[in-house]
Amino acid sequence: MVEIAEDLDRICTTLDKLTLDSLSLIEEEIQLKLILENSMCEGETHLAKARYIMGHKNVSALQLPTENSPEFSASIQTLSNEDEKLYGQKSFEICSIKKDEDKSVHDPIKWFGILVPQNLNYAQNMFKQALQWAIQAINVQTQLRETLIAIGQLKKVKANMFVK
Amino acid sequence: MALHSAHKGKLISVIGDEDTCVGFLLGGVGEINKNRQPNFMVVDKNTAVSEIEDCFKRFIKRDDVDIILINQNIAEIIRHVIDNHNAPVPAVLEIPSKDHPYDASKDSILRRAKGMFNPDEML
Repeated sequence: MVEIAEDLDRICTTLDKLTLDSLSLIEEEIQLKLILENSMCEGETHLAKARYIMGHKNVSALQLPTENSPEFSASIQTLSNEDEKLYGQKSFEICSIKKDEDKSVHDPIKWFGILVPQNLNYAQNMFKQALQWAIQAINVQTQLRETLIAIGQLKKVKANMFVK
Repeated sequence: MALHSAHKGKLISVIGDEDTCVGFLLGGVGEINKNRQPNFMVVDKNTAVSEIEDCFKRFIKRDDVDIILINQNIAEIIRHVIDNHNAPVPAVLEIPSKDHPYDASKDSILRRAKGMFNPDEML
C-alpha cells in the first residue's frame, strides 16, 4: 500500500513538472509565431513596394516556376538530428546550399528579372529570417507534442492505479 | 545558418496564399524535382478544397519533405485532414498570412494542449 502511495506521489510530481513544461512551451511557441508573423509582414511590405515599382503582374505567382519549368533544387533545406530534449524525436535546422556545391541551385530572385529593385532583396532576407523562426517554432511544437503524449500516458497509468 | 557541403537535407513545403508562396520561394525553399512535382501550392479564392486536401496528402506521402508550412486560414479549411496527421515527420506548422493574423486558439497543437488542461482531466 505504501509502495503504491509512493508511486502515485512520483507520478503526480512528474505530471506537475510536465504540465508546467507544456505551459512554458505553449508560451514559447506563441511568441515565436508572433515574431514569425512580424518577419513575414515586413517581407510582404517589401514585396508590395517591389510590386509598386515593377508593376502588379511582375511580382506575383506568375513568376513562380510551374510543372513545365526546368528542374531545380531548393537552396534552403532542412537537416534533422535526434534530440534528447525531444524524447528521441527529430529536431530540425536549416542548411543553405550554395550554387558551387550544387549546379541545380539558383537564386530565386532571377525569376523576377535581372535588374530588380532593392526591396525584393530586402523581402528575400525577411523571408529567410522568417524561415529561421519557423524552424524554431517547429522544434518547440515537436517538444510540446511529445510532452503532451507523455502527460497523456502518465494520466492513463494514474487512472489504472486508482482502479486497482 | 549552418552551411553544409554535402546536401542530404530535406525540403520545406509551402501551401499558402500568393504572397506567402512568393515570399518563401524567394527565400529559397522552392524545388521542382525530377518528376516535375513542385513542393508548393498557391491557394487563391478559386482553389477547390479537394485540391488543397490532395496536395496536403501528397506532401505528407513524399519522403523528401520534412516540414509543411501552411497558412492558418487554409489549415482551417482542411482541419479534419490536418488533425488526422499525427506523425512527427513531416511536421506541419500553421503560419499567419497577410489577411489573417495568427490566432493561437485555432492552432491544432495548442487546441490539443488546451484539451489536456480540462479541469475534469486534471484529476
